[in-house]
Amino acid sequence: MPFREAIAIAMASVKANKLRSVLTILGVVIGIASVIAVVAITDGLDRYMADKVLALGSKSFQVQKFPDVIVSFDQFREYMKRKDIVLRDIDLVKEACSLCSEVGGLLATSRTVKYGSIKQESVQIMGITENFSRIGSITDLTEGRHLIDDDIDSARPVAVIGADLVDAFFQNAEPLGKEVLVGANRLRIVGVAKRKGKVFGQSQDNFVWTPITAFRKVFGSRRSVAIQAEALSMGVFEKAQDQARLAMRSRRHLAYMAPDDFSIETGESVMNLWNSATQGIYVVTIVVTAISLLVGGVVVMNIMLVSVTERIKEIGVRKALGARRSDIQKQFIVESVLLTGAGGILGVVGASIFSFAVGQLLTGIVGDEFSAPVRLWAVALAVVSSTIVGLVAGIYPASRAAGLDPVVALRNE
Amino acid sequence: MTESAESSIIRCVDLWRTYQMGEETIHALRGVSFQIQPNEYLAIMGPSGSGKSTLMNLIGCLDTPSQGEYYLNNQLVSKMSDDALAEVRNRQIGFVFQTFNLLPRASALENVELPLVYAGISKSKRLEVAKQALERVELGSRMSHKPNELSGGQRQRVAIARALVMGPAILLADEPTGNLDSTTGEEIMRLFARLHEAGNTIIVVTHERDVAQHANRVIMIRDGRIASDELSAKAS
Repeated sequence: MPFREAIAIAMASVKANKLRSVLTILGVVIGIASVIAVVAITDGLDRYMADKVLALGSKSFQVQKFPDVIVSFDQFREYMKRKDIVLRDIDLVKEACSLCSEVGGLLATSRTVKYGSIKQESVQIMGITENFSRIGSITDLTEGRHLIDDDIDSARPVAVIGADLVDAFFQNAEPLGKEVLVGANRLRIVGVAKRKGKVFGQSQDNFVWTPITAFRKVFGSRRSVAIQAEALSMGVFEKAQDQARLAMRSRRHLAYMAPDDFSIETGESVMNLWNSATQGIYVVTIVVTAISLLVGGVVVMNIMLVSVTERIKEIGVRKALGARRSDIQKQFIVESVLLTGAGGILGVVGASIFSFAVGQLLTGIVGDEFSAPVRLWAVALAVVSSTIVGLVAGIYPASRAAGLDPVVALRNE
Repeated sequence: MTESAESSIIRCVDLWRTYQMGEETIHALRGVSFQIQPNEYLAIMGPSGSGKSTLMNLIGCLDTPSQGEYYLNNQLVSKMSDDALAEVRNRQIGFVFQTFNLLPRASALENVELPLVYAGISKSKRLEVAKQALERVELGSRMSHKPNELSGGQRQRVAIARALVMGPAILLADEPTGNLDSTTGEEIMRLFARLHEAGNTIIVVTHERDVAQHANRVIMIRDGRIASDELSAKAS
């Protein structure tokens, strides 16, 4: 019997039991839909993260007292014992790192900033060196000027502000030359930075830059500086970090075998954390899907057994009319695969709709274009795995049908 | 039965069929031998439990004998594999059942097409041949009807069209009028008579004397043996 005939017979049988067929494949639909949707959404998040994190500057790195990622309080206490990084260290690294185009420093805290009676909460107050805007992603200004060496050297109370503060304080007024209050200290605005937008719903424009020297006057000098450095090129990125590491180690007289008592962080460290988290999501998804497909397969097998039992007489008639064992077997396996295959396709459709909806929702939340497209390989995998489930679930019921004695089958009522 | 063994369409030699029911061995057939020539119209009769159903299953290649030889068209079928038997059933035997055994979800035409599907015949050829078969039983106008939209007599005629569609060596009918009223039963028997005149070999298994009367030879089975084998009045 040609394959086409087996499909026609199976289609007729599925159509004859529409509701039962739909209920049978529900498990497969949900299993497939969830794996594709989760893969699509994590994939979308991955690319979003890669875009945003790497936008922070792929050639830049930071030398810090604390690493970006701390996973336990014990670790935190250990890091607390490290020496602070001081302003002098910036110059040392700058001298030692011949492969760095820029080496600067950063101190940061969060404060409420006031202009007249208007308050802006949780503003990132950053004490920076002159070259800060050239490290990582370049920050351009829309108005005024950048901080210059002279501002830093004489610790002038001046500031470059982010677009959020312009929105909050000035709207249509001219911000340059105005003074904002950070705590009890007045800072004169000399520049306005270009708007950067949001990352994960977090505005990147709610900041005040002020000379690192001025920052220390206001908030104290007992803070560890984060050294900001930019490598000359991607090719020497690792070597530039090594130069910085060596400079710090020799300054601190670390023994050959001793571990670093500072942390060098790149965008990669955050990406690595993210990737290990999403890897976890992938593993869990695959396990959950495997279980739901297994359950789905058991349901399909059960219904196929019912289908065989219901049609014993029909099988007898078909055998009397010349159906071979293989014809009967083919008929039921095709029916089973048709069911789960349809489940797989419905799952793909469901997942596409779901991940599109989630994409739209996240776009709304993060205030930024976000998409979670369904990957072709995920679709292929879904179709292949649902087909395999159908094959496996169909084999036993089909062999049972094929092995029926025609005399016994014909006598069945 | 003076014809030679070679010319016979069916030749049974000492057929035995035993079933094992737990400890007990049941001999459904105890050495049955006979021959059937082409274009014979044979009735097999016997009370229930006589072994006539077992004999029908053997003739129809649905079952194989425990012992003995069965030749169909000079082919030894009693030792064939399942798949070979399926092919013999497909090409050499046309079944007509008491309960019609049409597939309920398929139209008359699709039911008649079924043996052609298993013979691997192309769709267009199938349609043509199946239509002709339905027209031969005067159901040309009912082809797209489902079995439940047809009367009992019409259903049995669809079944007969299905049995004939492959041009089988024998038409094997099991109580073909058992589920029909007497008028419709007569109508079906007249159809068998016409098919016999047209050259078909027909074997009817029945316990009804009226039905057996249409045949020109009657074999009586009792206790798994042939009790009598005689030409009916009609044939002489």
